[in-house]
Amino acid sequence: MHIQELILRLQRFWADRGCLIGQPYDLEKGAGTMNPLTFFGALGPRPWNVAYVEPSRRPADGRYGENPFRVYKHLQMQVILKPSPAKVQDLYIESLEAMGVDLRKHDLRFEEDNWEAPTLGAWGVGWQVMLDGMEISQFTYFQQVGGMDCRPVSAEITYGIERICMFLTGIDNIFDLTWGEVKTDDGVFPVSYRTVRQREEFELSAYSFEHADLDLHWRMFEAFEKEGWRLLKDHGHFLSGYEQALKMSHTFNVLDARGAVSTTERPGIIKRVRDLTCACARAHVDREQAMLEAAKGEGVPA
Amino acid sequence: MSETRSLLLEIHCEEIPARFLAPLAVEFTEGILAFIREQLQVELSAETFYSPRKLAWRVKGLPAAQADQRETQVGPPRRMCVDAEGRPAQTGLKFAEKWGVGFDQVRFEQPAGKKEPCAVVTLVRTGRPTLDLLAEALPRLITSLHVPKAMRWGSSEFLFVRPIRNLLCLFGGDVVPFALDGVSAGSTTWGHRLYHMDHPQPVAVPGPEAYEKTLEGAGVVVSCPERRQRLEQQLTALAGAAGGRVVADEHLLDTLAEIVEYPTIILGAFPEAFLTLPKEVLVTSLAEHQKAFCVEGPDGALLPAFLTAANRPDDPEGFLKSGNEWVLRARLYDARFFFDEDRKQPLLERLEKLKQLTFQRELGSYYDKTQRIAALSGAMASSLGLDGTDGRLVAQACKCDLVTLMVGEFPELQGIMGGEYLKRENAHEKVWTAVKEHYQPLSADSPIPASSLGGILAIADKLDTVAGCFAIGQIPTGSKDPLALRRAGQGIIRILFERGWNLNPMAIAALALEGIGAKATRPAQETLEALEAFFRDRAGHQLEQAGYPGAVRRAALAAGWTDLVDLKARCEALAIFADDPRFQSLAQSAKRIGNILKDEAEPGELDPARLREPEELALAAHLARLEAVAEQDQLLRGLAELAGPLEAFFSAVMVKCEEPALRAARLALLHRLRGAFLRVADFSLWQ
Repeated sequence: MHIQELILRLQRFWADRGCLIGQPYDLEKGAGTMNPLTFFGALGPRPWNVAYVEPSRRPADGRYGENPFRVYKHLQMQVILKPSPAKVQDLYIESLEAMGVDLRKHDLRFEEDNWEAPTLGAWGVGWQVMLDGMEISQFTYFQQVGGMDCRPVSAEITYGIERICMFLTGIDNIFDLTWGEVKTDDGVFPVSYRTVRQREEFELSAYSFEHADLDLHWRMFEAFEKEGWRLLKDHGHFLSGYEQALKMSHTFNVLDARGAVSTTERPGIIKRVRDLTCACARAHVDREQAMLEAAKGEGVPA
Repeated sequence: MSETRSLLLEIHCEEIPARFLAPLAVEFTEGILAFIREQLQVELSAETFYSPRKLAWRVKGLPAAQADQRETQVGPPRRMCVDAEGRPAQTGLKFAEKWGVGFDQVRFEQPAGKKEPCAVVTLVRTGRPTLDLLAEALPRLITSLHVPKAMRWGSSEFLFVRPIRNLLCLFGGDVVPFALDGVSAGSTTWGHRLYHMDHPQPVAVPGPEAYEKTLEGAGVVVSCPERRQRLEQQLTALAGAAGGRVVADEHLLDTLAEIVEYPTIILGAFPEAFLTLPKEVLVTSLAEHQKAFCVEGPDGALLPAFLTAANRPDDPEGFLKSGNEWVLRARLYDARFFFDEDRKQPLLERLEKLKQLTFQRELGSYYDKTQRIAALSGAMASSLGLDGTDGRLVAQACKCDLVTLMVGEFPELQGIMGGEYLKRENAHEKVWTAVKEHYQPLSADSPIPASSLGGILAIADKLDTVAGCFAIGQIPTGSKDPLALRRAGQGIIRILFERGWNLNPMAIAALALEGIGAKATRPAQETLEALEAFFRDRAGHQLEQAGYPGAVRRAALAAGWTDLVDLKARCEALAIFADDPRFQSLAQSAKRIGNILKDEAEPGELDPARLREPEELALAAHLARLEAVAEQDQLLRGLAELAGPLEAFFSAVMVKCEEPALRAARLALLHRLRGAFLRVADFSLWQ
């Protein structure tokens, strides 16, 4: 199984089950949940099924491309189903079969793992899904996003693409995975994860552990925050405002990887990100509400 | 009782967190049994079953219907209900109408407490079928369960622990008709997911008694104790096959039994190269990350093998074994990365970094704490006649592992990692052992530090926490003890007590407070008083743990507790006499002495020449002998022998007599006696 084949199969599977296929959001972020397709999509009453791949950056996990299991950036396949369907676990199990896992030969467990994203004012309950002892997915029923109760509730499924691919192929080193095959007039050339990503891992790890200018990052953090509030307050623009919050979050992650944030400062910094994301979420919900009411007034279905 | 039937209820959910299963099972059991008691007037017991997706109960012996209820209603006096000719009057007719009976069913009787005959009717309320009562009560009992982390799902407002996907509810052969959040109860359920891959239809449960057997047939062992037992048997057998024994972990075994529906143990291996990691790291990493047990050889050294549970009966193609091995390799690779990274810098070089790590907002950083522990353990070592230098060194080192990668990943390895790193830096054995041990005792039944230095460091660390928190007003009250200060305090007392160290807890607490200095927000005197009460309670608790009876504890504590060595010796001696009836008599006399002396000024010296009655002379002679005794148990024997003479004294002698000199002599005698008692115990509290 190649990385791209796994992604294609999952996208096909979820598209066939009534999901929009989204695209990664072009800003650095720590998790697929931060993509506006999820963050804003999980709020409000509108039915919303979407699936997409999201590169997730975790500066503290960088290992210079030398650790066979941990990387600065990995791929998440993210699925949001709102409202959560009654057979959501069965759907998920079918998706494993679509990936080529014959569950008659494996051990599958859903073990409690509640999810919380303090910078997003979001939490949910759910499980880590264990296949033969390995966590292959996170499964969450969102209870709150942006500090607001979710009605209806979305189910979120997150697949760790590289891990699943390693597991399915029995490969012990992430860089030995095959991304896909390139066919030219001269033949077929398999391309490894190493070729596509190892140098990037090395440079990004070096950046977050050594080269990042900490003073600059602190200044950027302040500037993004100011910019975000300006966009939201002066213009009511919650999407461009939210982008600034995403940048704050990543800047914070870089500082954190360097140990530049003390334990006492930490909650305060997280709260500053959360204040902005939650304010953006409220602005979005207010606008949705106003649109739904206007549509009702005109007798147009929402 | 005529016909009885069994009730079976199963709530089938998406996977319920293991930690909620038992509490929910117990709470519902109480609810359903209380309901049965109230409505059906029978006292029954319930069987509980649970697995990751199921919570189930069975109650046997319910009557099929409520008993008929007879109740009597009393109305107005007869003279108002019938007229002079004996015909029904308006009031009488209205009374009959009110209770829905004809006037001919109204009787006239004189009920207790009434002065004349009154109208009386007896109503028979037919008992309702139990099935109906259950259909009404079950939804209420289920929705009123206390769910600590309740959730919503889909578009519903319903709240429960996890989404409810099926309800099975039988009363004998009948389905109890009720529904929850759109799910109607029925006579079928779902078995193991694997089973239903090949049998896509729900499983029919023929009756409450067939429940476990039906589910076992569908791949679910629904009794948790049964799953635990099967796991335990397989663990023992497979560890033996691997040439060793399981490193026991009861908590992990409980968890495994709760997270599988069909229990099977998988034996796997990991590369021997990882055995260079400290044993604690391997045990913790395997348990935390992989819910796996380690296997140790006869010499206690780990083998490169692990055991974990799977949720299916077999491993047809070896995927379970290879999968778990794969994950474990990744985890151990990480653990070794942390271990190698951490050792690139000597442990003590991290001391500066502790300045960035807050211990407690008002009390400063871990660096500040380290300095206070150093001073305190140095002083304690000196007063115990030990070398204070080591005390100061271990104190500097003991918190450095808090900023290592390994402790960041596994907080429960704090102390242990510090010790392991120091050991590998060739620190002196007593230094690394002390660091390793200084969080002990971890609980009431786990060991205290084995080394003296470890004991001193453990006390200094805990005492700094306790005294510091008291000094800023963080004092445990009632059930509120968020910083676990009672456990810390208990640890201090237990180490002193078991080690037999002659250190006055209040004296070292005062030293600790000096160290806190200006960081305190409360007056030192107030803090010391609070600490005195706190540690006295801890000492009392320690005596209780050590198994001394209540009378011994109360009497011994009241005679002083800060010399724990002496306190222990006195308790030991008192315990020998705990059942001696003479001590009961002594307690009576001690109380009497207390009452007599209560309103008196401090008596002068005893002048034995003033005494004249034979009983008081005998008592004085006893007392003189007693005061010369130094041994605790001899003293107690002497005290016990005093019971008779004291009784005789009180029956023959009037203490507060008219003659001032004699009275003074008698009071002085009693005062001296009380003094002799208090060398051991306050016997007025002996009961």
